[in-house]
Amino acid sequence: MPDKKTMLISRAEQFSDPATRRDFLKLMGIGGAIVLLPSVLTSCSDNNSITGPGTGNTLTIDFAKGDIAVLQFAYALEQLEADFYTRVIAAFAGFPAADRAVLADVQKHEVIHREFFKAALGAANGFTLTTTYGSLNFSDRTSVLNLAATFEDLGVAAYNGAAQYITSTDNLTIAGKIVSVEARHASAIHDLIEPKTNAFAPKSFDDAFRPSKVATAAQTYIVDKLTFANPPATFVQGPNGNG
Amino acid sequence: MTPKTLFDSVDPEIMSRLDDRQAEITQGASINGKLAAALALGSIPIALAALSKDVFGQTPTDVLDVLQFALLLEYLEAEFYSRGVAAAGLIDAADRTIFTTISAHETAHVTALQGLITGKGATPNAKPAFDFTAHGNVAGFNFSAGQYETFKVLAHAFEDTGVRAYKGQAPRLINDKPVLTAALTIHSIEARHASEIRRLRGKKGWITGNSRDDLPAFTQGIYDGEDNVTQGAVNVSTLPGIANVAAATEAFDEPLTKAQVTAIVTPFLA
Repeated sequence: MPDKKTMLISRAEQFSDPATRRDFLKLMGIGGAIVLLPSVLTSCSDNNSITGPGTGNTLTIDFAKGDIAVLQFAYALEQLEADFYTRVIAAFAGFPAADRAVLADVQKHEVIHREFFKAALGAANGFTLTTTYGSLNFSDRTSVLNLAATFEDLGVAAYNGAAQYITSTDNLTIAGKIVSVEARHASAIHDLIEPKTNAFAPKSFDDAFRPSKVATAAQTYIVDKLTFANPPATFVQGPNGNG
Repeated sequence: MTPKTLFDSVDPEIMSRLDDRQAEITQGASINGKLAAALALGSIPIALAALSKDVFGQTPTDVLDVLQFALLLEYLEAEFYSRGVAAAGLIDAADRTIFTTISAHETAHVTALQGLITGKGATPNAKPAFDFTAHGNVAGFNFSAGQYETFKVLAHAFEDTGVRAYKGQAPRLINDKPVLTAALTIHSIEARHASEIRRLRGKKGWITGNSRDDLPAFTQGIYDGEDNVTQGAVNVSTLPGIANVAAATEAFDEPLTKAQVTAIVTPFLA
């Protein structure tokens, strides 16, 4: 095809640029060619999909940045949660009122967390993730609440495990202010699923997960490929010893 | 002993901050008692030892202080719930699993804190005697059948206190990662408990503004400051797309200082 267009992608980050994405989709429609330079080959799967987990642009969190990296890690998780609950409240009309009251509050909290980190990190350290939920039916109460509980439990374990890498007492306090709200959410959502059981707090101590363990779990729902540069060499386990 | 040898044995960061303190010391200003006594004895090492804690506030002594303080709160909760679940006819049968779960957790927290204290080579403080009427503020409460609503009110107050207390102490643990991580995994469990009990009482699982909901007035200190909307340098009540003051206060739990928590807990000490 003599008029075939070529799009040059040299940086994985270009995929997160709306203009780039538009061009990408246009090219797919007209049979254009995309040249991926070696720098981005590792961030894309071989089926040209940009919607599957980990198939999008590479998001690298560089722990050499110190507290900034921990805040970016939290920002990624809060983006996922905020996006999830925003989709939930758009589709939860058929849920019982008690569920809707909790989910509507949680959605606001998570959007506030996301916007807080966006403001605190500033443009230089910011990024926007693309999410994916596979075949999740957002109008199915059980599916939605189960994934909500998964996200809240993961968030609690993530903050509890990452706190050890924070060097500023101010940032440690901020993380503490958020993690207990995530734990309140986790409790409430488990209570909606299994009321009057021990599901709201099944263990005496919450989990504390190392960042790589959290990233592996979160990756299932994130199109961008999460990677760490200069990851911490050591991890101090919490009482459950499962991080 | 030459000054060089002496200083070599001291954390270099102390030396970097010593100049500021030295100015104060030579001016005779704001010398704490231990430091004054040490200087009076002419002992530089003792003066340095006093300074190191004064300057940093994160010596092992502080970690132990946090652990003993947390142990006091856990003793309070553990005794409260263990008496509650043991009391005939107090807790509604349908809610029993909730409270036996929480009771077991608080007892486990006591054991864990005692172990951390022992691990630091110290002795855990003994459990004090408690007065769950808070010296008459909760008149007549004695875990009797028919007092379930009052029992839940106290549980609501204790759990919200616990969350804020641990949060306030976390910065003092920043240099002791095992203790910090252990404390945080207790902190978030207290938040799970708080949410459950609040919801059991028909309230939201999170704190709105500085509202104590329907708790008695003497508990207001547990909620003072929860209406804060400034996080770091960010006003979280006016963020793009989500300008909501109530939600902004709910989205962040606030810490309490040790002094604030002590003021809340003291009425419950016999």
